[in-house]
Amino acid sequence: MKKFDFKKYSKQIITAAVIIVICIIFAVLKPAKDELLSRTSPAMQEMIAADENSTRKRVTVTYNDLLVINYVSLSSSGANVMSEKYVGLLGSVYSADEGGMKVVGQMVNYTYRMLGCGENLMHGAKLTILLTTLTVIFGVMLGTLLALGKISKNKILAKISSAYIFFFRGTPLLIQLFVVYFTVPGICGFAWRDLFPASDAEAVYKGAFTAALIAFALNSGAYCAEIVRSAIQSIDKGQFEASKALGMTYGQTMTRIIIPQSVRRMIPNVSNEFIMILKDASMVFAISLMDITTISKNIMTSEGSYLVFIPALVIYLLITAFFGYIFDKIEKKFSVYE
Amino acid sequence: MKKKVMAVLCAAFMAFGLVACGANEGNTDTANTDAADDTAAESTIDISGVTLMSDGVLTVGAEVGYPPFEDFADDGTTPIGFDVDIITAVADKLGLEVNIINTAWDGIFAGIGVNYDVACSAITITPERQETMLFSTPYINNYQAVVLLADDDTEITSFNDLDGMSIAVQKETTSDILMSDYKSTGTIDVQIVANEKITSCFTQLQNGEIDAVVVDSTVADGYVNSSDAFKIVYKDTEEPEQFGIAISVDNEALQTAINEALAELEAEGFIQETYDYWFGSVTE
Amino acid sequence: MSDSYEYILKTEHVSKRFGSLEVLKDINLAVKKGEVICIIGPSGAGKSTFLRSLNQLEKITSGKIFIRDELFLHRENDHTVDKLPKEKQQELLLEMGMVFQRFNLFPHMTVLQNVCEAPVVVKKEKKEQVEVRARELLEKVGLSEKADEYPSRLSGGQQQRVAIARALAMNPEIMLFDEPTSALDPELVGDVLNVMKELAESGMTMICVTHEMGFAREVADRVLFMADGIIAEEGTPEEIFTNPKVERTRNFLNAILEA
Repeated sequence: MKKFDFKKYSKQIITAAVIIVICIIFAVLKPAKDELLSRTSPAMQEMIAADENSTRKRVTVTYNDLLVINYVSLSSSGANVMSEKYVGLLGSVYSADEGGMKVVGQMVNYTYRMLGCGENLMHGAKLTILLTTLTVIFGVMLGTLLALGKISKNKILAKISSAYIFFFRGTPLLIQLFVVYFTVPGICGFAWRDLFPASDAEAVYKGAFTAALIAFALNSGAYCAEIVRSAIQSIDKGQFEASKALGMTYGQTMTRIIIPQSVRRMIPNVSNEFIMILKDASMVFAISLMDITTISKNIMTSEGSYLVFIPALVIYLLITAFFGYIFDKIEKKFSVYE
Repeated sequence: MKKKVMAVLCAAFMAFGLVACGANEGNTDTANTDAADDTAAESTIDISGVTLMSDGVLTVGAEVGYPPFEDFADDGTTPIGFDVDIITAVADKLGLEVNIINTAWDGIFAGIGVNYDVACSAITITPERQETMLFSTPYINNYQAVVLLADDDTEITSFNDLDGMSIAVQKETTSDILMSDYKSTGTIDVQIVANEKITSCFTQLQNGEIDAVVVDSTVADGYVNSSDAFKIVYKDTEEPEQFGIAISVDNEALQTAINEALAELEAEGFIQETYDYWFGSVTE
Repeated sequence: MSDSYEYILKTEHVSKRFGSLEVLKDINLAVKKGEVICIIGPSGAGKSTFLRSLNQLEKITSGKIFIRDELFLHRENDHTVDKLPKEKQQELLLEMGMVFQRFNLFPHMTVLQNVCEAPVVVKKEKKEQVEVRARELLEKVGLSEKADEYPSRLSGGQQQRVAIARALAMNPEIMLFDEPTSALDPELVGDVLNVMKELAESGMTMICVTHEMGFAREVADRVLFMADGIIAEEGTPEEIFTNPKVERTRNFLNAILEA
């Protein structure tokens, strides 16, 4: 284990520290939830009080806390429509019903919803990141097996692998998703949510997520197979010969010599595949899950606000930047010997 | 050799596809003639005081593409559907031809009295809309309905009984907005899955992914009628949505004439008949 | 291991064809334990192919290969007629170490890991024991201070010496060298040849395909001159280098020595 080189990263550390300190100051000075709620009009408070004993409640209270800023929106449904919004920032509460603060409030609310805060794990940015990461991991593992199958001397294995790759690359992911989620359980007579305990209220989302992950991993496996295969075939033939001359079996040669060397060569392509999946993840709308894109589209249609796409872009860029950094680190780790 | 066989197979497959398309077109033609025969009747209503865009023609704005209310037939140009049949029958009663103008939903109201005499496109009658336009008497009632699997014994007597369930709705519809409201106000705790297509909701119900579908009663009627797998267990008759024909605010004469025509059609049982034809079930 | 055999390695009528091209024609060779054999000849003569056929990197078209007098493989017209069981074959193949023209070190492993890899993975030896032996071998080839470097940091000559140590770590009875110095800069050749010389002196059985005539003359017990897929001439270094009987040999040696 190498010692961490503080000098080399001094700039980054100072920047990070400054950001953290500013965030802490903002977070501490941010008004409390009760402070925001206390600003509501008497009429609204009356309505909230009336809801206490009502079987059909009227007021929706939304509270979004984004660490440095928070936002409260109260709105009533039915014939008597009322709406009040407040933003809390740096020790003050601002009305967010119109003007600049309205935009700020919207941004907080949109960002909060797209990040999937206050929702289950299969929602928003959490869903996007979870699905994409797991898909790449399983996809590369499956892809490696398929690549080994395709270049194997066993003709049946090679044919099966080729057919698999042909099938999953030759059909759209959206249809594969439909087949996994709707068709397969329909034919086999099971439900995805039954994989989880009946007492689990989120079973319906977890079931859909499982189906999505399976469809995505099966699809990604086919693409990764080609990435892994070309990486393996780019390794010098002499490596195979040297391994054979040393008495290593095919399996040992692959796992100890060839695949470790291929990893570095596949990283750029796997990184591309990652970004593809990140964007394809929006297809989960087809099976009732909501990723960043789906949520932003929903907000656009229901509220008619085009502003929603700005936080969406920022969130995507942050995710891409973060994982780009991770892939870069992995690539560096695997190329120390060059 | 193998390649040749494949080529022949491909050619045969494509030829079959073309023949199949041709056959479809034929079917459409016959369907249209039938519809025209149904609506043939004599004019009995006085329309002397009515002003129209063009003489002898009722020009109708509709967003064609919302089955079964209005959709294009398989030929891609002939409008068909519940609304089309109703407005054609109404025009017939008034001794008018019908000219349907396909228009986008956005801005459909702005075109009334400008591009067309009336708009008939599954338009819900709301107090806000009544301030800027006239509406005919409702020709169809739509309720929010709860659909369960046929063998499910769960009793639903109000939306509050959905507490703790997982339900499916079509995204951005009244059902979606209503259920989201029940959830966000804390009235009930319900897991909502929203789908682009209503068909997905019913497939999810059939597969057992969800417990119930909340949907327009018109759509629910259609599904329950076409499949033994589902049943409607609750219709929220408290808050009905009523569809009416929208008429320009200064054309009261036309409103009166249309209402008379609708009343006659109702009395003749034509509306019920048409509803059964398109939605396949009895409604109040 | 029993030593009650006559030839450690023997080939009979070995032929190899790539499509219509006959690369090896009826090669017969018998090697006794401790012998050092150098194979010389023009490029395209089939020297490397022959060497690679011995440890199964190439499949022979026909002929027999014996190891320790046991019929290791017998093939006719690209079909295997007879062979030892797979496990036995594998075991005997481990007795042959090979050094390649282009080293073929594992670039993702350090020098020490390169040397230890096969004994640990293939022979399932204890890592600690192998490491001790590996360091001794690296000492022997003069690279003990490079143990933790990656191959890319080493010169070609150093890499080739690591490759020799790597092959030796499996404790082979025969070492096959496939033009081990051809890819090296001239000033680096000497170190590698010195290591090979020491190895020969220690009694290792060696078969070297080489263009280093000086080395062949000094170290070899027997020199084979190959041309056009046959062994054109065979003899002691004295016989081959000072008094070649075959015209091809003479022309080849003249051309080499003039250059």
